[in-house]
Amino acid sequence: MATLSNAPAIPTEGALAGLKVLDLMWVVAGPTATRAMADFGATVVRVESANRIETARGIGPYHNNGQGPDHSGLFSNMNINKLGLSLNLGTDEGRAVLLDLIKWCDVLTESFSPRAMRAWGMDYESLKQIKPELIMLSTCLFGQEGPLSRVAGFGTMGAAIGGYIALAGNPGGSPIGPYSAYTDYLSPRFALPTILAALDHRDRTGEGIYIDQAQAESSLHFMSTALLDYHVNGRVPQLVGNADPDMAPHGCFAASGDDDWVAIAVRGDGDWANLCSAMGMGELTCDDRFADIAARKANEDELNGIISTWTSEHGAIEIEYMLQAFGVPAHAVSNSSAAAQDPQMRHRGHFIAMEHPEHGTTTFESAKGQMTETPPSYRSVAPSIGRDNDLVLRDILGYDDEKIAELAIADALT
Amino acid sequence: MLLTPYRVLDLTNQRGMLTGQILADLGADVIAIEPPGGSTARSVGPFAGDDPGTDRSLFWWAYARNKRGITCNLDHPDGQALVRQLAAGADFVLESEDPGVMAARGLGYDDLSAERDGLIYTSISAFGQSGPKAGYQATDLILMAAGGPLILSGGVGEAPVRVSVPQAWSHACGEAAIAAMVALRARSQIGRGQYIDISAQQSVAAATMSANLAASIGAAETARVAGGMAVGPFTGKLIWEVADGYISLTFLFGSGIGPFSQRLFNWMYDEGECSLEDRDLDWIGLGAEFISGARPLSDWARLMEVVGEFLRKRSRDELFAEAQSRSLLIVPVTTVDEVANSEQFEAREFWREHEMPGWPDPVRFPGPFVKLSDNEIEYRRRAPTIGEHNAEVYAELGLDDAALGDLRKRGVI
Repeated sequence: MATLSNAPAIPTEGALAGLKVLDLMWVVAGPTATRAMADFGATVVRVESANRIETARGIGPYHNNGQGPDHSGLFSNMNINKLGLSLNLGTDEGRAVLLDLIKWCDVLTESFSPRAMRAWGMDYESLKQIKPELIMLSTCLFGQEGPLSRVAGFGTMGAAIGGYIALAGNPGGSPIGPYSAYTDYLSPRFALPTILAALDHRDRTGEGIYIDQAQAESSLHFMSTALLDYHVNGRVPQLVGNADPDMAPHGCFAASGDDDWVAIAVRGDGDWANLCSAMGMGELTCDDRFADIAARKANEDELNGIISTWTSEHGAIEIEYMLQAFGVPAHAVSNSSAAAQDPQMRHRGHFIAMEHPEHGTTTFESAKGQMTETPPSYRSVAPSIGRDNDLVLRDILGYDDEKIAELAIADALT
Repeated sequence: MLLTPYRVLDLTNQRGMLTGQILADLGADVIAIEPPGGSTARSVGPFAGDDPGTDRSLFWWAYARNKRGITCNLDHPDGQALVRQLAAGADFVLESEDPGVMAARGLGYDDLSAERDGLIYTSISAFGQSGPKAGYQATDLILMAAGGPLILSGGVGEAPVRVSVPQAWSHACGEAAIAAMVALRARSQIGRGQYIDISAQQSVAAATMSANLAASIGAAETARVAGGMAVGPFTGKLIWEVADGYISLTFLFGSGIGPFSQRLFNWMYDEGECSLEDRDLDWIGLGAEFISGARPLSDWARLMEVVGEFLRKRSRDELFAEAQSRSLLIVPVTTVDEVANSEQFEAREFWREHEMPGWPDPVRFPGPFVKLSDNEIEYRRRAPTIGEHNAEVYAELGLDDAALGDLRKRGVI
């Protein structure tokens, strides 16, 4: 894997070249959306403050297991390609810089609690007076109104109150939920298409727009069928482990290594026959206990026992290759080490290495969409706090030395 | 609506329907093309009344909204010709067949872009269009395993566990909607359309929250902690048992979360359930004390136990109410029925209703995924029945009733 060089700059090429984004979001949900814009050539200025360190800077995995605000692999991955400006929004001077940036940008994104922007006189109603074509996204857990709109929250809480935690766990046990801040991964999939649609609309009509995103609401579109099943059929999902109503065997089976698991999903009788062949247990296809899906579901514990005994004798990746060769859906349950070595992820160029001023190199994930005409570009690692102050204040806002010195004296740039 | 000028040919099966749904909600004219017998998505459960009829799939109901529906046999040469004609008037094509299937039908990117300058053609597949695993068989569970989220969810030493409502293809669909919209903006800049290749394996990697980078950046693997999260040497507990169920409490130190923990301990002290010494810990700098060894790590386990004890005596409602007045990071772990009956979503008038054919009562759907100041998302069409819009869509190609009758007889539509 070639290592790219690190050179923060205003991009000039890409699908979104020329697009100017002012990013006042933090942690995961918001920064994911603005990173995608930056990858495709938008100039994204991300505002942070050393006075309140962004939460993602404290979350792992940590480069070389180290500590400090620039060690977070999460922060790094979320903020590749962005320009970092440090701004103390507690000062009048800091907010004046922010207003200049709002006048500069096409898209303003923020994830403060609903009160914050209003308190600064920077809510959409006020801003559209000075900039009618502004596109503004406010994204938070519950949206800008309603009884819970003031509940501060991270995506872990969105996953809890949005119903996701209660959808994963073993029968009779405590809810486990998907990993960490689940709704943070879902909401950019709705925010970003909306922003880009709003831009297209603005270019045709000259009209700006305000987008109020409640992450909890957007995320419900990934569980629409469960909500309909409740509304129409009165059914509430129970904790079922990895069981599936239409597939058996279906689950994660322990393989021979340490914390080594393989996922296997048998979709029907054809997969079942192929699985039996692959395991060298052709006689099982004649076993009435497993004759069809109804029988396999009825005898699922016995079935899983047989599969587990077999999987325990092989490595997960070996099982994956054996079963896929027979056309049976199977894959090792990949951790980060397996992902880095996965031949398909390598083929796709999923992990990208870049020089890093502090760590030597860093690795981040590529943009998800592979596009033939306007591929993404990777220009710079995530900013340390205030790394690009000069570039933003001089080259983008046109401030002179005197003005920048005044801002520093007023403690506006911390 | 924002995307009113644009037309989308949605050729996806059940793997790819959310992409067209997002574009349709934003206002695009999305034409869903099904085989004459109906989309495979119509056989995805659950079903209304648990009756697996073609117009009973709740999956179809959920993800075909705002689309017009026509039938066309993509394996019939005349059907393929109809799609090429429709592509001539489309801005986007979406498909989610196994790699190579559309090209074999003469409906690949090269074929359809020849009919229409500027066409944006998006393929959604399990592992991408090429590469050593492009031919792999996949389901939701397999993709969550291959992309990295699955290993992170589950109990210590126990089997990883998935979200029981399938998620993987929805992640891919979301990425496809993003890329398609990026390509629309590119088209307005460079004057050309393009081909987009989306891999579900790569898309679900977003749900690892970058834990999939650990080995690549020299970090330890992220431990699987049921209802929690490993933060360096600390295990942060996110899901806590209380008197009548479970809550999510984010409990940690540091400048972001420490102030919330301080307020929690203020409350606990007021109730006489923690010591003055614990209340007055440096909740912002506590992590550094543990790391330097100034305070033993066992103290963190003790503090978690003090908090756990406090929570177990209280109900979800009591904790949530207090969280709002004291600004604490606590919400209840809700079940689907509680989500459906939440007063928050009610207050924002989130839900939308459609009359569905063959079902007696109006059906309630999750509402607009964002609220817009203008050009609001409208729920203007329920999911179509099979071939519901054949006449009006094919009329655009100059086909009258007689021609359609002939196509129907020959199994083309």
